[in-house]
Amino acid sequence: MNARGARVSSVGALVPAPLRTIYARLGPQITSALSIAGGIALWELVGRLFVKNSLFLSTPSQIANEIAMLWISGELQMHMWVSGQEFFIGLTLAIVGGIFIGLVMTSSVKAEKILAPWVTALYATPTIAIAPLIILWFGIDIWSKVVICTLNGIFPMIINTDAGLRGAERHLIEAVRSFGATRWQIFWKVSLPSAIPYILAGVRLAVGRSIVAIVVGELFGARAGLGFMLIQASEVFNMSRLFAAVVILAVVGIALTSLAQALERHLVPWRRL
Amino acid sequence: MEPKLAIRNLSKRFGDLQALEGINLEIAEHEFVCIVGPSGCGKTTLLRIIAGLETANGGEILIDGKGVRAPGADRGFVFQADSLLPWRTVWKNAVIGLEINGLVSQETREYTRSLLKLVGLEGFDHYYPAQLSGGMRQRVNLARALALNPMVLLMDEPFSALDAQTREIMQSEMLRIWRSGHKTVLFITHQIDEAVYLADRVIVLGRRPGRVKEIVSVDIPRPRELNVKRKPRFIEYVDHIWQLIENDVRDSVIEEGAHRGGRRLAGQAISQE
Repeated sequence: MNARGARVSSVGALVPAPLRTIYARLGPQITSALSIAGGIALWELVGRLFVKNSLFLSTPSQIANEIAMLWISGELQMHMWVSGQEFFIGLTLAIVGGIFIGLVMTSSVKAEKILAPWVTALYATPTIAIAPLIILWFGIDIWSKVVICTLNGIFPMIINTDAGLRGAERHLIEAVRSFGATRWQIFWKVSLPSAIPYILAGVRLAVGRSIVAIVVGELFGARAGLGFMLIQASEVFNMSRLFAAVVILAVVGIALTSLAQALERHLVPWRRL
Repeated sequence: MEPKLAIRNLSKRFGDLQALEGINLEIAEHEFVCIVGPSGCGKTTLLRIIAGLETANGGEILIDGKGVRAPGADRGFVFQADSLLPWRTVWKNAVIGLEINGLVSQETREYTRSLLKLVGLEGFDHYYPAQLSGGMRQRVNLARALALNPMVLLMDEPFSALDAQTREIMQSEMLRIWRSGHKTVLFITHQIDEAVYLADRVIVLGRRPGRVKEIVSVDIPRPRELNVKRKPRFIEYVDHIWQLIENDVRDSVIEEGAHRGGRRLAGQAISQE
């Protein structure tokens, strides 16, 4: 695959024109795909020829095999279901709560003075560090992870909502004010729409932080979930399973982040121009 | 005849700075009046007070004999900067004044559609501002201000951000649009030839404090073609007004130069000499 890719680019002149235009259009994606494929091939090669011991390095084929086994036994779905619940409840709370707190903070100077120091202090605190405490308070089931997830995801939402609402351009506010807009109309027609790109960027950050929060939370104490599967595998030195969990988390992370990006593109069409 | 717009003994202070002092003006219905003056003469402040975006320290603004203090649908404001809402299409931008005042109806929609056609933007309803040129954006701004069918149109250097050629075209377009509806227009500019070309009367303001220096009636028959600008008669008017404000402009250039270069006025001074 690698060799073919190289030929397309270096001997481009010999390749028929239609193929070249296809490459011009898909070139960047093809290059990325080839890079990933090459990396996996190299990994497999090193694992088979040099390390030869799956305790130190599982090869991609072993990991794929492990994922398939986990899927067939139904174990993988069970762990994903638990982590998925924690993630969606936690992220939803973070988004709704974060936007709400952001709105409150911008509603008046007093509200800002009351909330800002807490937000700043807690944002800088590594809430992951108090995960064991939260598990103690909320139990070993999903709710402790929901709380950890929300605590981590909520800050980018608060900060971005606040920044977005404050970032509304003065001359746009004046423009609607010249038509006699009320405070409420200014909020709906100017402040909120100009905050949407910021809020959606906050969602994208919150997605990443939430995934990390759930895995770490499950490491500290859980009965099921991908993080739980990961720590179990590592305790018994089942490297294939450990890598399987990491690969699944990476894929899920990429998928969810691109979903958030697609949402941004869909909801902020004027930014694409 | 009672003036459409009357300004009585208006004054405005910013701290120690007397921005406007004892401004008295009367503008008749259907009249096109331009205000010129050096930077710092308070011409934009005057317009903003008339629009209700700023409050005066003394004096009053009367429209049809009734005092006005807040923004209202009886005045339409066209801003200097591009003040279209970037997340709204041309059409949604054009109707925002109607939305704010709860006046969206079949009739006003049709009127807005005819205005977009009048300003030459038929077929651009679904474009976002970012897809339009500067000249087109200012056309939308104009249609937006006219959509509420205001009695008085207030324009704050609307063409100053456009390149010289586009500006010339927009000036003649402005007269064409004005002829079709015969609104009362108060138009601010720092370009003397723009003022002479457009106006029935040019109000020349002086600075420190901002006050009326002279009112020049422009006795050039309408309709005016752009080539009128090269007629001796036209040049006499421009020259006369330039002499009225030359010293003020020089002072403001030196003062601004001390702060931040004052490039725009310096450029104007050279082109007028």
